[in-house]
Amino acid sequence: MIQAVGKADATSHGPVPSATEAREVRVRVLRQDAPGEESYWERFTVPYEANMNVISVLQRIAARSQSQDGRRVAPVAWDCACLEEVCGSCAMVINGRVRMACSSLVDNLLKESPGEIELRPMTKFPVVRDLSVDRGRVFRSLQRVKAWVPVDDSYDHGSGPRISPEEQEDAYPLTTCISCGCCMEACPQFNKIELVKRDDETDEAFEARKREAYDKQFLGPHAISQAVLFNGHPTGSMNADERMQALTSQGGIQMCGNAQNCVAVCPKRIPLTRSIARAGRAATVWAIKKFFDR
Amino acid sequence: MERAFSVGDVCLSPFICSATVKAITEASACRRHQFYACKRNVVSTPASSEESFLGRHQFLLYRLFSLAGLIPVGAFLVVHLLTNASVLGGAASFQSRVDLIHSLGPILPAVEWAFIFLPMLFHAVMGFVIIANGMPNVGSYAYMGNVRYTLQRATGMIAFAFILWHIVQLHWMGAPLGGGKFDPHHAASSAAVALQPVLIALLYAIGVLSTVYHFANGLWSLGITWGLWTSPAAMRRANWLSLVVGVGLGAAGLGALAGMRSIDIEEARAIETRMDRARQMLKGNSVSTGTAVHSTSFQDVSAEHASEGIAGGSAATEERN
Repeated sequence: MIQAVGKADATSHGPVPSATEAREVRVRVLRQDAPGEESYWERFTVPYEANMNVISVLQRIAARSQSQDGRRVAPVAWDCACLEEVCGSCAMVINGRVRMACSSLVDNLLKESPGEIELRPMTKFPVVRDLSVDRGRVFRSLQRVKAWVPVDDSYDHGSGPRISPEEQEDAYPLTTCISCGCCMEACPQFNKIELVKRDDETDEAFEARKREAYDKQFLGPHAISQAVLFNGHPTGSMNADERMQALTSQGGIQMCGNAQNCVAVCPKRIPLTRSIARAGRAATVWAIKKFFDR
Repeated sequence: MERAFSVGDVCLSPFICSATVKAITEASACRRHQFYACKRNVVSTPASSEESFLGRHQFLLYRLFSLAGLIPVGAFLVVHLLTNASVLGGAASFQSRVDLIHSLGPILPAVEWAFIFLPMLFHAVMGFVIIANGMPNVGSYAYMGNVRYTLQRATGMIAFAFILWHIVQLHWMGAPLGGGKFDPHHAASSAAVALQPVLIALLYAIGVLSTVYHFANGLWSLGITWGLWTSPAAMRRANWLSLVVGVGLGAAGLGALAGMRSIDIEEARAIETRMDRARQMLKGNSVSTGTAVHSTSFQDVSAEHASEGIAGGSAATEERN
C-alpha cells in the first residue's frame, strides 16, 4: 500500500511531511534461488515515486537489497530489456494476472489491489531464478510452425508479390506479437513442462530432450496466430502446407479449448481468437483435402 | 484475498487437481491453483520418443469428439427433449411419439447403440481426457469466456453422471440394477411414477439444465473449432444462436419434466392401455397395415370397440404387461 506514514500524525504534530515523501510501496515477491528449488515469499518496501512501473520498483529493490524486515538479501532477479512493451521479456504474474512489468504502472496496480503489489514468476515456464523464467518453449513453438518466410539465399528474386492495403491492415495486428508468453500463461489448456537436467547429460542432449517434450504439447495461441500470419502472406504461403501439418499434429490447434483468455490478456491486443478460428477453418479444409487427395 | 490452508487440505481447483497441501508456506495456499499444493501438471519425466496412437491421431480424434457432440449426440438430445415435451399435449400425444420410436422393434437396440450410446461414450471418454489435460484458472482470470470454458467442463461431468443414472433408472437395460422403470407401453404414466419424488425431480432439473448448457455452449465452441465463425463480431452473433438454442431446449426439458410430473397417472394409464390394445388389435388384424398404427389415434378405436372386438386378444395383452 502507499502508506500514508505520518499522515495521521501530521494533523496533530509539527512539520508536515509531504505526502509523496512519506509514501512507500510494499511489494511481495515469490522468490526461488535456482531451478527446481522451493520458492518462498519475501517482502520489500521501496519509497514511492511518481509514475513508477514494476521495473523501477524492482530496480529500487535491487539497489537496496534489503527485505522489509531489514535483512540483507540477494537482489531479486528479473528479465527486461526494452521497457516499452516491445521485447516481451518482462512478462510476470502481477497481482495474480500475467502482464508486462514495464507497462504495469504502480498507481494502477495499487488502485486494483490496495495494500501490496504481488509479483510472481509466470507459472507455465520453468523458473530460472526469482522472476526470471525460461521462455524457450515460446520460441520452440514458433519453430514448430515455421513462423517465418524462408528467403535466405544469394540470388536476387526481385520484389515479392504485392499486398493490398486491406490485407496489410488485416495482417498488421498479428505482426505486433512480442512473444512474451502471456497468452500461454493465461491459457487453461497450456500446461507447464519442466524438465530437470541429468548429471550425465550434455547441454545439447538436454536441449534435445526439452524440444521433444515441448513438441508433444500445445503450441500456444501465439504460434497459431503466427502460422495464420505467414500462411496469409503471399510469399509465406508457399510453405502453408508445412504449417498446416504442424497445426494439425500432436499439440496443435485441436488443444484449444476456446476459453479465450489469450485474447483477454494479450498486451498487444492481438485478435488471437480470430487467428485461432481462422486456423481452425483452414485446418478443417486442409484435413478434408488431405484425406481425399492422398 | 488470502485463504487459510492447513496441511492435508486439498487444492481447490474445481475438478482435477486434488493435490494435498504438504507444508505450509504462503505459496502452499494454491490460491492461483498452479502453485505449490499442486504440481500435478508439471511434466517431469521425458516423454517417450515413440508417438502414441492418441498422439498421432490427436487432431482427428478431437475433431470427431467435437462433431460427435453435435451429431449424433446433440441431435439426439434435441429430439429427445422435444419428444418428452410432447407430454404437455397429453399422455396420448407422448405415447404416440414413443410408439413411433418403438415401431423400430428389434432393430431399436442396434440403432440406440450405434447412434446414441457409442457416440456418447466416445464423446464422454474424450471429454474426460480433455478435462484431465486442462487446468481451469477461472479464479485468476474471471473472464466470461473462461467462466464458460470452466462451466463447459463442469456441466459435461454433471451430464455424464446424470445420463448414466438416467439410463439405469429408466432404460430397460437398468432393470437388473433396480431401474428400468420406463414402460414404452405406458410412457407418460411410468415416467410420471418414476419422477414423482421431489428429490428426483430436482436432480433431473439440474441434470437437464447442465446437459442443455453443455450442448448450447458446445455449439458455440464447435463453431470456432471448425471455423464457422471466425471474427469476434461473428462469435458474438453466434452467442445469440447458442443462447436461443439453450433457452429453447432448457424450456423444453423443464416443460417435459413438469409435464410428466403433473399428469394424472391413473387417467394416463387408462389412455395408454387403450392405445396399447388398439395397437395390438391392428397388429393382430393386419400386419401389412402396421405403418398405419401411428396415424391412427386412440380416439378412432374406442375403448368399447377394443374390448368387444378383441376380447381374447386384450387378455393376452394384459398378461404380457
